[in-house]
Amino acid sequence: MPDEIVLKTTINGESARLLVPANRSLLDMLREDLGLTGSKHGCDVGDCGACTVLLDGQPRLSCITLAAEADGRAVRTIEGMAEGGLLHPIQEALHRHVGAQCGYCTPGIVMALAPLVDDPDQAVDDETLREVLGANICRCTGYTRILSAAREVLAGGDRQRGRAAGAREPSDGGTA
Amino acid sequence: MDRSDDLDRKAAMEKRVAERLAARAAKEAAQAQQAEERTAADVTDPSTYMGPADTRSGQPAEGGVVGAGGRGKIDGLAKITGRAIFADDLKLPRMAHAKVLRSPHPHARIVSIDTHEALAMEGVLAVVVGTDLPTRHGAIPVVMDETALALDKVRYIGEPVACVCATSEELAWLACQRINVVYELLPPVLTIEDALDADKPAIHEWRRKGGNVLRKVDQSYGDVDAALAGSDLVLEESYEYPASTHVPLEAHCAVAAPSDEGRLTVWSSTQNPHYMHRTLTRVLGMEQASIRLIKPDVGAGYGGKCDTFCSDILSAHLARLLGRPVKMAMEREEVFYAHRGRHRTRMWLKMGMNKDGRITAIDFKAWADGGAYSSYGVVTSYYLGVFMPLPYRLDNYRFESTRLYTNHPPAGPKRGHGAIQPRFALEVHLDRMARALGLEPADVRANNLFPPDSITVNGLRITSMGLPDCLAQVREASGYDEKVGLQDSGPFKRGIGLAASAYMCGALHPIYQTDTPHSGIQLKIDRSGRVTAFTGTADCGQGSNHMVACVVAERLGIQPEMITVIEADSDLCPVDLGSYSSRVTFMAGNAALHAAETMRSRLVTAVADKFGVQPEDVLCCDGQYSAGDQALKWTDVIELAESRFGTLGATGSYRPPKIGSRFRRQSVGPSPAYSFTAQVAEVTVDEETGIVTVHDIWAAHDLGRVLHPEIAMGQIEGCVYMGVGEAMLEEQRYRDGVMTTPSILEYRIPTVYDTPEIHAILVESHDPEGPFGAKECGEGPQLSTVPAIANAIFHASGIWLTHPPFTPEKVLRALRQRDLQRAREAT
Amino acid sequence: MLPLPSFSLLAPDRLDDVLAPLGQPGVRLLAGGTDLLPSMKHRLFKPATLLSLSRVPELARIEPTEDGGLRIGAMATLLGVRQDARVRAGWPALASACATVATRTIQAMGTLGGNVMLDTRCLYYNQPAGWRASIGGCLKAEGSVCHVAPRGTGCYAAQSSDTVPSLMLYEAELELLSRRGSRRLALSELFSADGRDGPRIERDELLRAVILPPPGAVVLHRKVRPRGAIDYGMLLVAVRRQGDGGSAVISALGPAPVSVRVEQLGDLAQAAWKASNPLSTHSWSSTWRKHMVRIEVARAVAELTTPRLAIAHG
Repeated sequence: MPDEIVLKTTINGESARLLVPANRSLLDMLREDLGLTGSKHGCDVGDCGACTVLLDGQPRLSCITLAAEADGRAVRTIEGMAEGGLLHPIQEALHRHVGAQCGYCTPGIVMALAPLVDDPDQAVDDETLREVLGANICRCTGYTRILSAAREVLAGGDRQRGRAAGAREPSDGGTA
Repeated sequence: MDRSDDLDRKAAMEKRVAERLAARAAKEAAQAQQAEERTAADVTDPSTYMGPADTRSGQPAEGGVVGAGGRGKIDGLAKITGRAIFADDLKLPRMAHAKVLRSPHPHARIVSIDTHEALAMEGVLAVVVGTDLPTRHGAIPVVMDETALALDKVRYIGEPVACVCATSEELAWLACQRINVVYELLPPVLTIEDALDADKPAIHEWRRKGGNVLRKVDQSYGDVDAALAGSDLVLEESYEYPASTHVPLEAHCAVAAPSDEGRLTVWSSTQNPHYMHRTLTRVLGMEQASIRLIKPDVGAGYGGKCDTFCSDILSAHLARLLGRPVKMAMEREEVFYAHRGRHRTRMWLKMGMNKDGRITAIDFKAWADGGAYSSYGVVTSYYLGVFMPLPYRLDNYRFESTRLYTNHPPAGPKRGHGAIQPRFALEVHLDRMARALGLEPADVRANNLFPPDSITVNGLRITSMGLPDCLAQVREASGYDEKVGLQDSGPFKRGIGLAASAYMCGALHPIYQTDTPHSGIQLKIDRSGRVTAFTGTADCGQGSNHMVACVVAERLGIQPEMITVIEADSDLCPVDLGSYSSRVTFMAGNAALHAAETMRSRLVTAVADKFGVQPEDVLCCDGQYSAGDQALKWTDVIELAESRFGTLGATGSYRPPKIGSRFRRQSVGPSPAYSFTAQVAEVTVDEETGIVTVHDIWAAHDLGRVLHPEIAMGQIEGCVYMGVGEAMLEEQRYRDGVMTTPSILEYRIPTVYDTPEIHAILVESHDPEGPFGAKECGEGPQLSTVPAIANAIFHASGIWLTHPPFTPEKVLRALRQRDLQRAREAT
Repeated sequence: MLPLPSFSLLAPDRLDDVLAPLGQPGVRLLAGGTDLLPSMKHRLFKPATLLSLSRVPELARIEPTEDGGLRIGAMATLLGVRQDARVRAGWPALASACATVATRTIQAMGTLGGNVMLDTRCLYYNQPAGWRASIGGCLKAEGSVCHVAPRGTGCYAAQSSDTVPSLMLYEAELELLSRRGSRRLALSELFSADGRDGPRIERDELLRAVILPPPGAVVLHRKVRPRGAIDYGMLLVAVRRQGDGGSAVISALGPAPVSVRVEQLGDLAQAAWKASNPLSTHSWSSTWRKHMVRIEVARAVAELTTPRLAIAHG
């Protein structure tokens, strides 16, 4: 039997107590034990960024992070990004720019870019933006629309959630 | 809302209506004239045109939906919130997991497989070997050479040999390592030369003839030898295009679950659910009606998910065997072995040109390393040759292409299937000859183009043709004409290059013979006003769901967000042949248009009768049906129509036109329409290191009609991106049959740093048969990227590169040869 | 899902509890995990116990030394190091080396200690377990033949740490700690001539910190890799100017970095080129990688001797 560990963590603002095998990756804990399947297996060895989540606010490759690392720390996943029905500004912009084609890398990209947006005091130059995005492989878009969405949000000054212009409920419904 | 607002709104609405009506009238007049001209053109060659297609593209777009952007796509929100459900995200009660053991040898006979140790492990539910599923299958029914697991022989490193099903994925993986296989090694066939050598062992020893040649195609049109002999300049060159692979971020995955009455539901990350449905039926020996095949959200394919894979067959087989749900998800490494990517292709091209730049003749040969199984290889063998006479006028053309078996993982259809390699050769060749004659290559291209409504020497029917516009626009946007005159000194040389290309919009013939439609759509309308479109299409991220919604919404005069698209579920949706050959917008778009027309005519009839006007006077847009002063909002239209006609439903289908050909054996290649692209690349060559940097690529693509600008540009950008990868970095490399690149670390797809600025330009040519005039835009734009970069490198440094990817080592080698040559010329 | 092998996990929050089990059979240290965990997924290591350092706060501290140098805790992240104002001002080549590691996300996870102790790498070693089986195993992992040099007896897996070349030229020392006490080791003494042997420290020793002497050395770091992110270096070069002469450290070509020193800076590129002997541990050609040694060193020298740039980097 593999060794098991008990861990107490906060996932998207909710506390959780879990018993997992010691060799469990954070990604598999999220996907298999908690049903949070928004974070993806892309390569499973830290090359592609599709599994990126936030651990205490920092982007982290959950496929090469032990679940145990989440003990006593706060995890944020794509499922926790649209709060109170309002999309995160980077989500809203990605949607409008069609920055997601197949959408498989998208959760990881949202998680990698969100901290840039969330710190309104931090001026983010284009080099930093490219550097952050350099950690995530997107095979569909050529990054063009992802960059244009992120640039728009970062240049917008007002990086608050649910900006008046484009905020939308996260539902697929629209009006005729 | 106060009254003045109301009045403003009404005035604005009236203005819009008037504009729309005027635009409609103008467009109709133009189309009528075009149709007349086209009929005249058709008459000139009655042998090639035998009847109209199921198309209704003569309809103008008045709903304001076609061409509108800025609001995302209908399934975009699910993707940015992580709610999209991919196959690996499915978790069912009691679900078991399957993993396969793969061959460590490129070519070996299986002597024995000992599964006892694996079976004895606690939690292992079943072990399956090849003989449990011995039925052969294949992507193209004429060559069925593959089994779910190797039967008696392995033919490539990574071929699935045995499968374990266990209560957890980890356990299944561990149990696979406990299966003992004894192999008797056979000499592998690993090169094109060996595959052509009849004395080498046959990889498929059961085939009666052909050795390791899967298919050889040769076609000849005109008098190539005479034309070459009479040409002012003849150039002959060999090219080699490397193997590359798709790397969709989502690995292949399938989940199967037994359901009521002995039925089986299979969820698979596939591009071609309908063909898979047929394959599963065959291999499992089930009735097709007993399998429900569902394609969940798919994390892209680019051609890599067109085949039926071991994961599909094994999960289905095990679910049936064990009576519980089974998932089989591939690891990233396994996706590289599943492959079906670009064929490594050796090419030889001889072309004649006259002093005025007119292309006189092309003689072309290609040999493609197809790996161990055929996949879509029969089609590849044709695609390597049939598109060469596009888009340049050419009276004399001959090609011979050979698709070979080797002991490499099977190659197959990757974006721009079969056409990428010859296009690279042709476009580089053309630049080279134009320069040798002192002509501007861009002008040579522009001067050689077919006009719209032409027929190529090998019988391909060109309808719309926007390449002149594409060429003009990329030259303008990139500053090509100014930059082409500049030359740098010093080690950093800037260069600019151009290339053009053409691609198909779906194949006229499906992979099996049938007269049934290639695409079907079913519509139903709820009393709430929500429209549901049921379609067999398989969205893999390219936006086909939105395309269907867009076409339907446009005709019904509502917004796409009002439409729910239910796709690729064989119990719910009419058949569509799948996401391959760039067929979906053209074919499914026409089917959607057909269904929407049928629905619209009922709605309009009901409204017209109520208004006391003619149906053609009813304007449908912005969720309102109006005529003159009278207007009804969408839900009232539904109530009216449903009261009159009963439940509102409509179907639509598309069958391509029956275009005959003067040429027999010409069943693979013809398409109802062709898309065209022109690209300019700007690069810097560092002549000390050989490192080439691609700065910018301008890509103008004739997509017929823009249905959704951001999605269309995204497709072009994605194509260019993939082309840059193939030009600069990507190569599926082998050493003695061992792929040395089975990871994202070693198989280097471009990161954001390796991707140039991509400038997509949309060019509309209004195809007479495309839905609202639309054509494909998801494959064609990749064709001209690699040659544009090669031509830019020549412009920078005066070296012709014939073998992508353009690694620093190859560039340096070419630079040294150039310097030797220059030194020789100087003395 | 690529499962990790089974292990038991220790994650103490006190240094003493780290030192106690260290050196016992089957115990392996886990720092950022960005190289170790992928390698474990590929079955290159199957430790019985992983000893995580992530919960010992003092290991992550960056603090000045008494003599004006800097003491960087082994668990300081690469992102933390490159963003540290003191590092940027006094040892800018280290900051720029950290910035070239894989990706920014990896930099936020990976640590300076982990990077210095990075396992040597090879095209035939850093591959999945089943893949290695198809080539009959790799000498460094489980086989008997080296696929880079089949007739040789050694392992040529390459030292690929991005930070080592510049740290060596800054004359960094390692602070090693065990139950037996603490000692210092010059970084240049760490490396073995054979790719299998690993860092030359005792099994019970922990790399506690990297000590930088006071600033002043003018160093430049350059990395050659196929892509602008993700990739390990296929050539790493650091160059230091010392009066009219200078020195260079060339790495990622073999098991240990190579140091060269010349009296005239203009001779450095040629000397570095002569001293370099890359083998095919990387998928890109070793001939080209050797060619690049001369160019990269020459370009670094040119940059160091261009006054404007020297200021920017100094």
